[in-house]
Amino acid sequence: MAKREESAMWSIFGYLLSGLLFWGGVGYGLDHWLGKSYFTLIGLLVGVSGAIYLVWLRFGRE
Amino acid sequence: MRELLRSGTGGGFVPPSSADFELPPVFGHNIYTTKPILLVFLSVILISVFFILASRKAAIVPSKLQFAGESVYSFVRNDLAKDVIGHDFLRFVPYLFTLFTFILVNNIFGIIPLLQFPSMSRVSFPYVLAITIYLVFHYVGIRKQGAIKYFKEIMFMPGVPKAAYILITPLEILTFFVVRPLTLALRLFANMFAGHLLLLVFILGGDHLLQGVIGLKLISPFAFGIGIVLTFFEFMVQCLQAYIFTLLAALYIAGALADEH
Repeated sequence: MAKREESAMWSIFGYLLSGLLFWGGVGYGLDHWLGKSYFTLIGLLVGVSGAIYLVWLRFGRE
Repeated sequence: MRELLRSGTGGGFVPPSSADFELPPVFGHNIYTTKPILLVFLSVILISVFFILASRKAAIVPSKLQFAGESVYSFVRNDLAKDVIGHDFLRFVPYLFTLFTFILVNNIFGIIPLLQFPSMSRVSFPYVLAITIYLVFHYVGIRKQGAIKYFKEIMFMPGVPKAAYILITPLEILTFFVVRPLTLALRLFANMFAGHLLLLVFILGGDHLLQGVIGLKLISPFAFGIGIVLTFFEFMVQCLQAYIFTLLAALYIAGALADEH
């Protein structure tokens, strides 16, 4: 049904955005704190993985 | 207003920018009488008058006006509220109906001759609407399930290994409390903003070409033509955005009401 797909699409978008923002933000903070430059990238990757995992939990399990 | 701005710049084309959205007060120096604010008031008056007239002489065999009013109402009631929220949908219909008609009328102001400004392209209006939804769906969820259970269900999804919570709980919290209302408001704002800017580019561009040399005058109708096509396209976007905004509001309420997300 179109409505469910529409809602799923925006939920997935929301999760991906949160993942990037939160873990990317943590990585950015670590970079600043420790004076390194690779934690932002690691954080972004962790965030996307977490978000995709969450999307799978929500929509892929049934 | 724009003519005044442009006449001072010595003939060069001034591309439309975000400055075109910051309109001066209509009456004197009162900052509460800018065009977007007056348009919002106008929309409330128009919607009220329309639906009062449409429902005043309700008859079994409806007049055209009553039919139009009832079509909009039954669209929101059945296609949005009933389909999405399920049983217990009726108490949310007034809210969703207000939301839908308010956004729709304010969006369509963007292509109505003379008015031609979508109020929702000023970001504060979508923000306020998103805040109301935010309050409604969290309130409904807390009332239905109790505060502790409600927040626990948002944060800790059942059937997940404990270690995974470190990874996903922050994401759930961020999604529910920040990203959802923010994207809701920004999607509406950005669509209206971009749409209005696009129309400005083609129509002001066409106008500017018309004042150029003969070769440029010949190109100008194409710019106006694209402007007209885009106006119809905008109409579609405006309706769609009002629909999506209301649909997502209904979905968030449905999510807060459901025992398991």
